[in-house]
Amino acid sequence: MANRRVLIKRRDAVRNIHKITRTMQMIANVRFQAAFKRAVASKPYTEKLAKLVDDLARAAKGIDHPLMRQPEEGGVSVLMVITSTRGLCGGYNHNVLRTAGEHLKSLEAGGERVELQMVGKKGVAYLKFAGWPMDREITDIGETPRFDEIEPLANEMMERFTRGEIRSVDVVYMKFVSTGKQIPVVERLLPLTGLESENAEVAPAVAEVQYEFSPDPHELLNELLPATVRIALFQAFSDAVVSEQVSRMVAMTAATEAAEDIIKRLTQQYNRARQTAITMELLDIVGGANALS
Amino acid sequence: MASSETFHCSVVTPERAVLECESTFVVLPAWDGEIGILRGRAPLLCKLGIGRLRIETADEEHILFLDGGFAEMLDNRLTILTEDARRPDELDRQAAASDLEEARALTVTDDASLEARQKALQRARTQLRLAD
Repeated sequence: MANRRVLIKRRDAVRNIHKITRTMQMIANVRFQAAFKRAVASKPYTEKLAKLVDDLARAAKGIDHPLMRQPEEGGVSVLMVITSTRGLCGGYNHNVLRTAGEHLKSLEAGGERVELQMVGKKGVAYLKFAGWPMDREITDIGETPRFDEIEPLANEMMERFTRGEIRSVDVVYMKFVSTGKQIPVVERLLPLTGLESENAEVAPAVAEVQYEFSPDPHELLNELLPATVRIALFQAFSDAVVSEQVSRMVAMTAATEAAEDIIKRLTQQYNRARQTAITMELLDIVGGANALS
Repeated sequence: MASSETFHCSVVTPERAVLECESTFVVLPAWDGEIGILRGRAPLLCKLGIGRLRIETADEEHILFLDGGFAEMLDNRLTILTEDARRPDELDRQAAASDLEEARALTVTDDASLEARQKALQRARTQLRLAD
């Protein structure tokens, strides 16, 4: 019967999709593990750097650095949004873009000029479709962001910041908390904040080490702070990649399960249709035989 | 295997932990010249320049190319933070040679560009020397 053929066709189609989503899920899983490993590998550097800044800030008796000063007047606020290059990762890009949109509105409501820098093809495509102007599109950073790709971006921001062209830099990305939790966050890259408040609390607990400094603590700090900014931006990019792969894994697992459900239902429908057809045929035969006798 | 002769040494970059070992002697490329480090050195925090890092362990020697960074020696643990650390076999001789040409071609107009040129030259030259 026509109905049965249609059911078989549809089931085959769903089976194909099932195969694809399952493969994508496995690929995302592998990529997630690789990205996670990379993100973890940068931990020792970040932690050590933070500790050094802490020690130095104490030795230098407070910090005053161009990167920490809030400019008085003028300059634009840079908003950098990190989205993915590929789709099929559930609500990942949507969540990032929504958070970015809210932050953008609040910045503009505060009367600031905003320079929008969009990272990732998906975000660029979305804004183009929405007819929203972007000041910069960055689509050449792949799924394994390397430090030497991020470094120039951070350096450029710091240079423009010290020149007074920009008054703040915010990065919107998906922060990786755990495999079950990723949250879109707005992080302030520049001006640097939160360095002094932290070490004020730790100071009494840790015994002071008499370091031999070369060059003096102030100059060391001048070098360390830009490094902190660079690593913060790098971390944002690595986190974004990890979160993206998790989102894709989750989305593809859900799709695979949904496909399995549909296959089951279609098989049931097909069997039922087949049984109905057989019964009908039997009834026909029995009816015919009865009519003859 | 920590003996009375060795101290812990680790080299980390933002991307990975490059090296983790018990060393007997280390030569750091500090910003103002080389610094040699033995076990029991007083706490040190210093800025690094571009240059060669030499780490001696009980039975081998590691050489790394470093591009700036920081070194901290504390309680017989030496930590080297750098944004770029490569073994000589990871260096690209040709790329370094062309970098050297580019650096030579840079024009100097003020102090900042002079410093940039010197740094680029030093970076390329050190890489070339280590790649051989």
